[in-house]
Amino acid sequence: MARDIVAGVFCCIGTLFFILGTTGLLRMPDLFTRLHPSTKCDTLGACSVILGMAVHNGWSWDLLKLVFIACFLLLSSATCGHAIGRSALRRNIPYWKKKEVTEDGHGA
Amino acid sequence: MNIGSRELTSGRALRSKLLLFVLLLAFWIVLTASLALHELVMGAVCAAFVGTLTVALLGRALDPCITPAVLLRLPVFMVRLVWEIIKANIDVAKIIIDPRLPIDPRIVEYRTYLPGDLPRTVFSDSITLTPGTVTVELEGDVLNVHCLCPYHEEGLAGLEALVAWLFGVKGMSQGEEDG
Repeated sequence: MARDIVAGVFCCIGTLFFILGTTGLLRMPDLFTRLHPSTKCDTLGACSVILGMAVHNGWSWDLLKLVFIACFLLLSSATCGHAIGRSALRRNIPYWKKKEVTEDGHGA
Repeated sequence: MNIGSRELTSGRALRSKLLLFVLLLAFWIVLTASLALHELVMGAVCAAFVGTLTVALLGRALDPCITPAVLLRLPVFMVRLVWEIIKANIDVAKIIIDPRLPIDPRIVEYRTYLPGDLPRTVFSDSITLTPGTVTVELEGDVLNVHCLCPYHEEGLAGLEALVAWLFGVKGMSQGEEDG
């Protein structure tokens, strides 16, 4: 029973981070900034769900398999983010910059 | 050149092959989830086959950076990296739910002292997974890192030290000269 609750809490945290990641994906202004929520929040979300499954499952061989899944997820997520950013940089896609605006509203 | 160094390199190659075999066998054992004899024999055959194929395709068994010492340090490295990732996520999550969206992105160049392809790859992957930074280009020893906020850049040196610790890199001129 206690194990179910802990597993549920981890899965809920994971879902929360998935929601945050998606929100970030929608709110960010350009490709490069969108990479940040998608490579980070989604990774932690998925890892948290995997952790929840591991707790639910208890000590067994499947635990090691889940650890492997988490490791490969971390690797592939980082590599994907890198590949997308790299190709965007190679195509000279300009990245979004904060507008420099002074106190009285004049552009710097 | 001389016989001594050739024997050394062939001994290193043999050790690297053995390590690859052990890793593949361990992976097999995890996947089959059993220690029965016939499973182990089958796993050994498969590990030897995949290992031979790897050497035939890549010309070497493992990256020379991968040694048993590195593999022993890997779990500690993973735990510390995961801790960094959790902090990164909370940080980025705060930025995302802030109604003003306080971002000031920029691309910075970072010159790393880590030698070899594998440490640099691990470093850039770690950067991508930690606070507001994504490696967008890795050329030689220069990384182009896209930072969400200027202060995210400050975390890079600590991460570099962590990767240097994983691979046992001491200082700037540790790597052997090639050629």
